[in-house]
Amino acid sequence: MVLEVRELSMSFGGLKVVDQLSFGVARGERLALIGPNGAGKTTVFNLITGVYAPDGGAVVLEGNDITALPSRFRIRRGLARTFQNIRLMAHLTVLENVMIAQYARAPGIGALFQPVGFGRSNRWREEARGALANAGLESYASQMAGGLPYGIQKRIELVRALLAAPRVLLLDEPAAGLNPAETEALHQALEAIAARGVTLVVVEHDMQFVGRLCQRVVVLNFGVKIAECAVAEIHRDPRVREAYLGTDELAA
Amino acid sequence: MSGYLESVLVLLAINTVLAYAAFLPMVAGQLNLGVAAFVAIGAYSGGYLSQTYGLHPVLAALAAVVVAGIMGWLVAFPILRTRGIYLALATFALNQVVQGTILNLNVVGGASGYPVPAHIGFPVVATFAVLVVVAVVALFHTRFGISVTAVSDDERVADLMGLSVRGLQTAAFTAGAALAGLGGALYAHHFNYIEAQNYGVLFSIYVVLYVLLGGTQTVYGPLLGAAVFTLLPELLRGSASWRYVIFACLIIAIMSLRPQGVLLRKAWFSK
Amino acid sequence: MLEQQLVNGLMLGSVYALIAVAFTLAIGVLNFLNFSLPGLFMVAGMLTWYLLRAHIAWPIAALLAIASGGLLGLLVERFTYRLMSRSAHFVPLVTSMAFLILFENLVLIAWGSDLQRVPVPFETLSWRLGPTVIAVPQLIGLACALIAVACLHQVLKRTRIGRGLRTIAEDPETATMLGVPVARVVPVVFVIGGLFTALGGFLFALNYQQASPFMGEEIALKGISAMVVGGMGNIWGAILGGLLIGVVETFSITWFGARAVDISVYGLLLAILFVRPAGLLGGVMRQQRM
Repeated sequence: MVLEVRELSMSFGGLKVVDQLSFGVARGERLALIGPNGAGKTTVFNLITGVYAPDGGAVVLEGNDITALPSRFRIRRGLARTFQNIRLMAHLTVLENVMIAQYARAPGIGALFQPVGFGRSNRWREEARGALANAGLESYASQMAGGLPYGIQKRIELVRALLAAPRVLLLDEPAAGLNPAETEALHQALEAIAARGVTLVVVEHDMQFVGRLCQRVVVLNFGVKIAECAVAEIHRDPRVREAYLGTDELAA
Repeated sequence: MSGYLESVLVLLAINTVLAYAAFLPMVAGQLNLGVAAFVAIGAYSGGYLSQTYGLHPVLAALAAVVVAGIMGWLVAFPILRTRGIYLALATFALNQVVQGTILNLNVVGGASGYPVPAHIGFPVVATFAVLVVVAVVALFHTRFGISVTAVSDDERVADLMGLSVRGLQTAAFTAGAALAGLGGALYAHHFNYIEAQNYGVLFSIYVVLYVLLGGTQTVYGPLLGAAVFTLLPELLRGSASWRYVIFACLIIAIMSLRPQGVLLRKAWFSK
Repeated sequence: MLEQQLVNGLMLGSVYALIAVAFTLAIGVLNFLNFSLPGLFMVAGMLTWYLLRAHIAWPIAALLAIASGGLLGLLVERFTYRLMSRSAHFVPLVTSMAFLILFENLVLIAWGSDLQRVPVPFETLSWRLGPTVIAVPQLIGLACALIAVACLHQVLKRTRIGRGLRTIAEDPETATMLGVPVARVVPVVFVIGGLFTALGGFLFALNYQQASPFMGEEIALKGISAMVVGGMGNIWGAILGGLLIGVVETFSITWFGARAVDISVYGLLLAILFVRPAGLLGGVMRQQRM
């Protein structure tokens, strides 16, 4: 198990948002976290990354209990994420945006003064540029991230997360708002990333996408795990069908 | 060099140092209306050290930088727990409290002003200014510049990316305070007389405004702002008040048309 | 002696209260710290001096001085809030600071930097309440402030404009969709704020018989402290904060001397910001952002 949550619980003002949640992800696996809106999926991500401190339970990364570890240290342990609403830095260029994540690999006060902006070539800058080129985004490198199209920003966010060299990547609705061509490109990119050994945990509503990419599924409703099964079996599980009653998200 | 030209250049040098003193916290997202307080702390502590202990004025100025920096660091702890407008208000309140405190310190003249006999000439002032500009430009070619901007743009994500939000904010605030102290000490030792009445929030407002004039999107913006603010009245030869009227109108115009400042947003490092 | 200080403090506080109300209205409805307001205070005060010195009848002087606040407030609105939606959120704050500088320096050019004595055109009546002396004009000033705020409260509660203001305060993005004519309602904040501040300036000039180009910086700026202490966005908080600051200032002068005023008033602001930023009555301010 490269990532495990054990009996994780979190309440907001008396309302239990996550209730005794337990599941694990094996190294190299691709797990989907699904459930209707408001089921607590993003909250789980926030708990795993340390944005919130749980009321109970534990988060275990590569065998180490990181529940009490401050959020900013978790990326250094190989845990990176992307966001549901794109969170790029509006006042930095695309290149600068993705370079931010490099700090996690070589943190420390000295690293802050790395002269990354000097000279014709600098290994950090070149590495970032290379990563953008691999994703087909090198033409955007000098543009301010703030004004770019949605689909482009989503891809940049992924490059940024990868530059931290994570071993576990949490993706919050990566396919949201993408057209079919973009979704296919995303699928290809994630397959390539997984092939390099990165473990993926994906929150998604697009069931087709989940069905193609992931192997296993954890289903959440009202903060409780109601099912955990192989991806092919979601449609058959009565509890899952009931949770999605009234929505046509499962139709795919 | 004529005395007049020299005093204009000295003011340009000092205003440049002050511009960067305001610029550093602003890039970190902090509107520091307490700049004047740290200028005063630098001016008064530098002047006091050179007068009372006979310290060489340049050493006194350097010591003043340390004093202002330490005070900035101490104050940063409570102040940086606030955000946005609360932060601006807290620095405003701090400024007035510091000014009020100095006005009551009779050991440095209180409300009557404080003469500082030891002199620092133009060449040294100019050297300091040049060093500050070079240092800040170099700083913004390192990871520091983009990290601080990231913290200002999105604290939550900067933290998740592994940056120490509190550390960077404190560093920016403290460095700003230290630079402000340098500006104050240089002024005190060149013009040889300082008055606490000058260091109210309006002083801070002037500095912040001319930094915004040049823009905080590039590292040369503050330099441009300081230049416009210092040289404009000389070109127009009006009274001090007319200079401020024109400056204010300029700000209003720029904020209407080009709020990012004259120098438009660019990358911190462009290749 | 204590009672006298208290009375003096409350009288002074009523001026602060008026300014604080102007500040708090802008913060509460528009999330905007209007740094130009001290400038309006000062212009009204100086205008009062100028007109009374020219032997204009005091009701007319009052009218003109107070109206100046409304007009200048409108001018400021044109160049600050009107531009806010399409630029960075600090722009209105910065521009309002520029207006403060503009007004102060224009007045310096027109009338010099001296402190002016305001000739008061009537006998200053006072009441004696035991050992305490209450100056009637100051009492009237306090009454005016309270009445003005009570009227404002009614306007906010019962009129269409008031409802429009409250809607914008709660939900700026959807205010237009909810049918609020935002472009017509927003200037009202500036005009009311300007009128209140100018009333404060007029009362101050009249009751303390002085005006100077620096009275904005020296006096009206404390209105910010009053606003925060009472609770940002809460007009009764502004009254409470204003009266409290007035009392704090008066006692501080008595116990610590005139030069300790800033330390007390702004020290209190600092303390509140650290300990209870919502202020005494709890503000209704929207989150964050300048």
